Amino acid sequence: MRLSIWPAKTRERRATILAGLILVQAISALFFIGDVIEDFGTAWQLGDPHLVLEFVAALALLAGVVFLMIELRSLLSRMSDMQTGLDVARGRMAEVIEAFFDEWTLTGAERDVAIMILKGLDNDNIARIRNTAAGTVRAQATRIYGKSGTEGRAQFISLFMEELMAGDFSQGGSNDQPARGAPRDSPPKAPPSPQNRT
Amino acid sequence: MIVATAQTSGRESARDIPVWDPLVRLIHWSLASAILLNSTIVDEESTVHEWIGYVALALVGIRLIWAIIGPKHARFSAFPPSPLRAVRYLRSVVQGNRTVHLTHNPLGALMVYNIWLTVIVLGVTGYMMTTLAYFGAEWVEEAHEAAFNWLVFSVALHVAGVAFDTWRSGVNLVRAMIIGRKRVAEGQEVE
Repeated sequence: MRLSIWPAKTRERRATILAGLILVQAISALFFIGDVIEDFGTAWQLGDPHLVLEFVAALALLAGVVFLMIELRSLLSRMSDMQTGLDVARGRMAEVIEAFFDEWTLTGAERDVAIMILKGLDNDNIARIRNTAAGTVRAQATRIYGKSGTEGRAQFISLFMEELMAGDFSQGGSNDQPARGAPRDSPPKAPPSPQNRT
Repeated sequence: MIVATAQTSGRESARDIPVWDPLVRLIHWSLASAILLNSTIVDEESTVHEWIGYVALALVGIRLIWAIIGPKHARFSAFPPSPLRAVRYLRSVVQGNRTVHLTHNPLGALMVYNIWLTVIVLGVTGYMMTTLAYFGAEWVEEAHEAAFNWLVFSVALHVAGVAFDTWRSGVNLVRAMIIGRKRVAEGQEVE
């Protein structure tokens, strides 16, 4: 997943650089145009090649600015599309996790602990956050592993990793290529069926 | 999962919503610096004062173009100048409504147009003072002076408004104008 984060940052940098360029070029363009207008006022002579050239250059500058602005807008909208895709993926991952928990009939407290385990917290930290004894958390964790049919933390987490890597969850919403090169035309994945694993 | 943790770490279940694009932010802070420079350290008789004024005028011009062809949140349609909406908004604030406005709130929108307009007036009257036709014309200088006083008052009000709205809605508006995203707490209404 780390790989798919970097382009987002690069794009953000690109958007900022583009915005800076637009600003500088637009200010230059406006000054140039102001100069041209002033020249028109003082030394207006039809067909003066110098003035005509200046006029054309000013127009070209302005067109360049507008073009850059449109370019920036489409870059921004691509970025927001990508964000939507990520949100969809996140939402789906949450759904998948919920479905697993329902299947295992975890209690409310066990769900909280399970989510913290998935987020990489160790038992001591979980106990501190939940204001309980470390022994309680250990017992809850053991029950979670038992209900999910796994043999410990690593295997428990890998259940979800597997889900994350197997499916194409970037479908729906995002127009971007899937980050991991998953086939675009793969058939839509069936809803998660954790009972296969228990 | 890295993405998911990155998003949910920090305040519990807050959403980070991108609002201000880089061009809007650059223009905002450039205009703020231009106003600050011209009103404080730059000698008002100097050519530097003139040039900074033209830059400020250009910045507003670019922003107006961006408000037509830019992305959704930068457009006029995202913050229409409507005194009616401002009054309605004021009433809801008094009643304790904590709705977050993704772009400017209706009152802030009026301030935006007010500041842009004032900068334009300052720029135009400032330019007129340099032309032969209006050089030394009393009323132009007075208009420039009056517009400047109005601008100082407006900026003060703008800063106070930002502080008040940050306190009221819990969304740090200065941070939003720097990094471009508004952090909205879970369950808070967004308009």
